[in-house]
Amino acid sequence: MQLDLFALLQIPEQYTAMLQRYLAAMILLAVLIIITKWQGIGIGNKLIVGTIRGTIQIVLMALILVYIFALSDLIVIFGVLTFMGVFAAYTARSNLERIPGVMRATLPAILVGALSVMAVTIALEIIDWRSGPGEFIIPMGGMVIGNCMVLTSLVIDRMWSNAQKQRSLLETALALGATPMQATELTIRESIRSGLLPNLNRYASLGIVSIPGLMSGMIIGGVNPLEAALYQVIIFIMIFLAGMIAALITSRLFLREMFNERAQLTVPPPEL
Amino acid sequence: MVDSPILELEKVSMAFNGKQVLRDVSLNLHKNETYGITGPSGCGKSTLLRVVNDLLSPTSGTVRFQGKDVREWGPQELRRRVVMVPQEAKMFPGTVRGNLVWGLNVHGMAAEDEQLKAILQEVRLWPIDLDGNAENLSGGQKQRVAIARALLLKPTVLLLDEPTSALDTDSALAVEKTINSLLSDYQMGVLIVTHNKEQAERFTSRVLELENLSEAS
Ligand SMILES: Nc1ncnc2c1ncn2[C@@H]1O[C@H](COP(=O)(O)OP(=O)(O)OP(=O)(O)O)[C@@H](O)[C@H]1O
Ligand SMILES: [Mg+2]
Repeated sequence: MQLDLFALLQIPEQYTAMLQRYLAAMILLAVLIIITKWQGIGIGNKLIVGTIRGTIQIVLMALILVYIFALSDLIVIFGVLTFMGVFAAYTARSNLERIPGVMRATLPAILVGALSVMAVTIALEIIDWRSGPGEFIIPMGGMVIGNCMVLTSLVIDRMWSNAQKQRSLLETALALGATPMQATELTIRESIRSGLLPNLNRYASLGIVSIPGLMSGMIIGGVNPLEAALYQVIIFIMIFLAGMIAALITSRLFLREMFNERAQLTVPPPEL
Repeated sequence: MVDSPILELEKVSMAFNGKQVLRDVSLNLHKNETYGITGPSGCGKSTLLRVVNDLLSPTSGTVRFQGKDVREWGPQELRRRVVMVPQEAKMFPGTVRGNLVWGLNVHGMAAEDEQLKAILQEVRLWPIDLDGNAENLSGGQKQRVAIARALLLKPTVLLLDEPTSALDTDSALAVEKTINSLLSDYQMGVLIVTHNKEQAERFTSRVLELENLSEAS
């Protein structure tokens, strides 16, 4: 009898279709990388690593999501959120590797900003999480934390590059006796504003351009559309608030990386 | 009896990544005195001023202000009294008025427009639109705003880094005259970096000439 080796190696059809789609997306990724190389944006390698890493992460997450969503103990849930926050701070650091001390500035900021807002939301029962604590709190926390991550790294990136480019302006301020805080006030304000801009855009186009995943998921899952829509507004407010808190904390903490205790600028000039 | 100096530099040396820029610089500055610093480009004049108001810490040596090591002063407290006008003094985003009072504001003080007008007249920058955008001023106008901004703090030591490099002789003379007239009012000493030999001769009582260490060796 002939052994059908080919049949043994055969991948179920469902998976081949999926893999084909994934590979098709890789063509788009290649286009993206070519564009970034061509424009000298210099994030091509990050995109490749990010894609591999992101794929592994999200596949793993998809596999365990069922269990995480089933969590009901608030302490365990906050443990998961803390882990997510630490990971977010770490990610911010690895994408800003030329800047020292990023983690020291982002980690406390993300944890305090995101967890405090989540805790208040839960305590005040602004969201009705009791029907499925893990299912509600964790994706929401993910959005809040993710936004804190984006904002804190934007703020740090801005503060750092402004300090490199505007050394003489900072020196002028310090030489008049300004504190590091006073010397960087405008930069910080600008960087928070520009960090919040994408949020503002999403907020303003809510439901028309941006159709948020959570709301869609809730509607598909059978939640009353009105309820789902209002949830989404609530989530946006939480995202804003947490991001704002995180951005403020991160800017204060990051000043310590830019200036020493003698209020001397320690940021080096831009590298060649 | 002679006054004790308000500013003392004792064997101040500075190196950046092993590159020696200043070696054993010592000087004493008294109140009512204008002290010049000259030397070729890159010899460390700006570095010396930065060391004096503690924007840089020297690799060795001591700087004392009013008898006390600058490291023992709070940085803001020190720089309110030992004010530096950097070589590339910048305007802060905003109006001319906002720039003039910027230094006062960081120390919780303010000034009336009359005061601003008086100091601007002294440095020959009056009339000017106080509500105008400071970024639109010319290089020489900016220099004078920067000097006026520092003078409004009534410093005890004024550090000037090429303060009149963008000014015509008449305006430079006016600035010098203003500073001279304020020396005794403020009980102030001035350390001025200048390339201009004539300015050094007419304006300063003593001159320290720095040399370029990297070229000499
Ligand atoms: N932060 C720094 N890091 C490394 N090197 C520096 C730094 N600041 C100054 N230097 C170097 O120290 C030397 C002296 O610089 P400085 O600006 O004090 O010169 P200067 O005498 O003021 O020159 P100029 O007359 O052109 O203004 C230069 O060689 C400069 O490259
Ligand atoms: Mg100089």
